[in-house]
Amino acid sequence: MEPLTLNMMLVMGMIALAIFLFVVEWVRVDVVAILIMVTLPLLHLVTPKEAFVGLSSNAVVSIIAVIIIGAGLDKTGIVNKLVAPVVKIAGNSASRVVIAISVTIAIISSFMQNIGAAALFLPAIQRVAKSQKIPLSKLLMPIGFSCILGGTITLVGSSPLILLNDLLVPFNLKPFRLFDVTPIGLALVAGGIACFIIFGRFILPQGVVDDGGHADASAAGEDENQWGEMYELTTPEDFTHYRDPVTVRDLRDRYLCNVVAMTEPPDYKTISPSADMALHANSEIVVYGRKEDVDRLAAAEGMHIRDRLEAYKMDLEASQSGVVEAVVAPRSSLIGKTLREVNLRDRFRISPLSIYRQEETYRAKMGEIELQVGDVVRLFGTWKRLKALQREGGLLFSIPTEVEEMRPEKAVWAAIWLATALTMTMVFNIQLSVALMTGALGMVITRVLTIDEAYSSVDWRTIFLLAGLIPLGIATEKTGTAAWIAHTVLNLIGTVPPIVLLSVIGVLATLFSLVISNVGATVLLVPLVVNMAIAAHADPRMAALVVGLATSNSFVLPTHQVNALYMGPGRYRTVDFIKAGTVVSVAFLVVMVAMMALFY
Amino acid sequence: MAIITISRGSYSMGKAVAEQVAACLGYTVISRDLLLDASTRFHVSEIKLIRAIHDAPGILERLSHSRQAYLAYIRAALTERVRDGNVVYHGLAGHLLLKGIPGVLKVRITADLERRVENEMQREGISAQEARDIILKDDNQRRGWTKSLHGVDPWDSNLYDLVVRIGALTVADAVSFICEAARSEGFRTTDKSLQPVKDLALACRIKAELVEEFPTVGVTCQYGNVIVYTREKGTGGSRLHKRIEALSKEIQGVFNLEVHSSENFPADAV
Repeated sequence: MEPLTLNMMLVMGMIALAIFLFVVEWVRVDVVAILIMVTLPLLHLVTPKEAFVGLSSNAVVSIIAVIIIGAGLDKTGIVNKLVAPVVKIAGNSASRVVIAISVTIAIISSFMQNIGAAALFLPAIQRVAKSQKIPLSKLLMPIGFSCILGGTITLVGSSPLILLNDLLVPFNLKPFRLFDVTPIGLALVAGGIACFIIFGRFILPQGVVDDGGHADASAAGEDENQWGEMYELTTPEDFTHYRDPVTVRDLRDRYLCNVVAMTEPPDYKTISPSADMALHANSEIVVYGRKEDVDRLAAAEGMHIRDRLEAYKMDLEASQSGVVEAVVAPRSSLIGKTLREVNLRDRFRISPLSIYRQEETYRAKMGEIELQVGDVVRLFGTWKRLKALQREGGLLFSIPTEVEEMRPEKAVWAAIWLATALTMTMVFNIQLSVALMTGALGMVITRVLTIDEAYSSVDWRTIFLLAGLIPLGIATEKTGTAAWIAHTVLNLIGTVPPIVLLSVIGVLATLFSLVISNVGATVLLVPLVVNMAIAAHADPRMAALVVGLATSNSFVLPTHQVNALYMGPGRYRTVDFIKAGTVVSVAFLVVMVAMMALFY
Repeated sequence: MAIITISRGSYSMGKAVAEQVAACLGYTVISRDLLLDASTRFHVSEIKLIRAIHDAPGILERLSHSRQAYLAYIRAALTERVRDGNVVYHGLAGHLLLKGIPGVLKVRITADLERRVENEMQREGISAQEARDIILKDDNQRRGWTKSLHGVDPWDSNLYDLVVRIGALTVADAVSFICEAARSEGFRTTDKSLQPVKDLALACRIKAELVEEFPTVGVTCQYGNVIVYTREKGTGGSRLHKRIEALSKEIQGVFNLEVHSSENFPADAV
C-alpha cells in the first residue's frame, strides 16, 4: 500500500472541511462547493482546468437539460392533467389513494425534479383527504416517500445518479445507461409503498379525520373556523371623527384580523394594503379572521359585517386570489428572519395570515416570530403576486393549476421532444447529455417554453453544487487518497463477500446523506467505494451504483425537500419521520441489495 | 390620573412623601399591603414574599425558581391594583415591576446618610454605629436584589423621571414637585395609555397562574391577546397546553391565548 503523502492529507483535510461545513451550514451548500472548487487548484491538488471541469461535465449539462425539459412539461400542463384521472381511479380507500398517487408521482419524478411533482399533487391530495375523510397524515408521507424513491427509476431522476457516470470516468468504467437502474428503482418504489400498506397503521401517525387541523377540532366546521374566513365589513360615517386613525396594523394587533383588501375614497381598491394604511369612514374592508374575532372587531369599532362579499365579489374571486400554505424550505434565506423583516405586505402585496409550527397556530405578534424550517405560513394574495413570491424561492407552495399560464396546445410537442431525447439515448446510444440537451432545445424551438423561461428555470444552486464538488472527487482519486482510505478500511475489516461489502456501502451512503447533501455524499463516496470494490474483487460499478441509489435513501429525517414540503401540511413531527423513515430506509437497503444480487 | 412609583431607601422619608402625594392628588397608596394581597390570592405566606423582594438571593435560591414565583405573584397583585390608574406605589422596585408601561411617573427619594442614621437612632433607640450598620446592610441588600433580578442598579438616576434628595429640600417640597409633575401632559392617562397597564396586568396574572408549574415561561399580552412563550418544543397536547386552554376560559378579558415555542423571548415578556 502507498504511504500517506502530504497531498493525501490535504485532500482529507478538504474533505473534512467540506463535511464540517455541510453539517454546520454556516454557508449554503453550493457556496461550500464553490469554495472547494477554488481552494483545490490553489493548493495544487488539481490543475485549474480540472477545477472547473465540473461545469462542462455531462452531469451538469444533463441536469440543466432535465430541468428545462421538466419546466417544458410543466408549462404544457400535461402533468396537471394527470391529477384528475389519477384521483378518480384512486377512489376512496386510503390504500388505493396512496397506491395510485404514489405510482404516478414516482414516475413523474423519475424525469422531473421531485419537489416539483410533490408540490403539484399537494392541493389534490388535500382535496381527496377532505372529501374522503382520510387523515392527511396517512397520505402525505407515503406519497412523499414514493416521490423521492421515484428519483431512482432513471439515471436522470436524482442528482446523485446523474453525477454517477462522471465520477466513473477516472476509473475507465463503462457508463450506466438511462434505464439501467429502472428494475431496482421500480422495486424500491414498490417496496416503499408496500411498507406503508402493510405497516402503515404502526408507523404512520394516526391523525384525526379532518383536513389537517388541530387534533382537538372534532368537526370540520370547527376546524374551518380555526383558520378563519373572509368577511366584508363597512365602516360607519363617523368612523374617523374625533379619534386617532385606525390602521391595518391596529386591527391585526387588537382583533387578530388581517385586512386583505380595503377601499380608499372615492373607490380605489387595494388588495393586501400595507400595515400603516389608515381605514376610511364609509368604505369597505375585507378582513380574514376567525368569526369571534371579526364579531369583536365589528362591535368594538362600530362596523357592519356583510353577509357575503359584495364590493369585492369580483376582485377576490377564487380565480384571482386565494390562500396558500407556504412551507419554509430547508436552506431558505428566510430562516431566522422575522415576517416583519421579510415584509411580504410591502414587497409583494401579500398578507401573512398565520404561522403553523409544532402543532400550534400563531396569529398574535406574527411579525416578531423568527421563521424556522418547516414553518407553515398561510398567505393571502392574488395568484399573480403569489407567483412572484414563489419565483423568489425560499417558500414552498403550490398555486392552483387552472390559474397558471399554461400552454396546453404545446403538449404534443413537449411529448415528442421528450420521446426524441429518450430514443436518442436508448436506441442510438447517444450520450445522455447530448440527447437531453437536444430535447430541451427542441422544446425551445417549438415554443413549448421561451429560452428566457428555460434559463430562469435552471437552479444555479444545483449546478454549482454539482460542478463544485466534482473536482473534489478528482483530487481524491488523483492523489491516491481514495485508494489509501479504501485499503486502510479493507485492512481493518478484513476480507468480506461482495454482498456484505455492498450492504456496508449502502448503510454508509445512507448515513452520509442524512448529514450532508446527497450530491456531496456521492462525490465523496464513489471514488472510495470503487477502490474498495476493486481491492475486494467486487464489481466497482455496482459499488458506485449503490452509492448513487442509497444517497436517495433519506427518509429518517425531514431534510429532503419533499419531506420538508409535506411536513407542515401533514402535521408531522420529526419523530414521525424517524419512526416511518427507519422502517422504509431498512426496507430500501434490503430491496436494493437483493435486487442487485438478483439482476447484476 | 397617573400612576406614580416612589422608590426609596429605608428612613429616607419616602413613605411620608408618598402618603402626602396621595393625599394631595386624591390617589390611593399601595405599599406593603400589596404583599398581603398577593399572599391571600396565591396562598403563600407573607413572610416568604417579603424575603423574596427584600433579601438578595442566596445560591440555592438562584437555582430554584421559588423566588421567580413569588415575584410573579407580587407583580400580578401590583398590576391588578394599578390597572385603573390614580395610585401611588412606594414599595420596592415598583418602577421595575411596572416596566414597559408608558406614562408611569417614576420617582426616587433619597436622603443623606447621616440624616437617615439619626432617624433610625431615634426610632429604634440604638447607637449611631448600629444604626449605620443596619442602614448600609439594608441598602446593600436592596441593591443586590434589584441587580440580580432586573440587572440594574436602583441608585442609577437614569431609571427615574425625578430624583429628590431630602435634606435642603423638605418633604413638602418633594410632594409639591411630584404633584406638579403628575399633572403634566406626559403623565395624563387616557384609555389608550391605560391599555398597556391592563395588558401587563393580564400577562402578570397568567404568569402567576403558570409560574409554579412552568417557571421558565414568558408571557406577553397585547389588547387581550396573550402569548405564552416556551423554549420547549412540541407543546401540543402537553400539560402546558392543557393548562393554558383551561386558563383562557377561566380568566376574563383574554381574547386569544397562544403558545409560541421560541428560543428568544421578547424583551417585554414577563
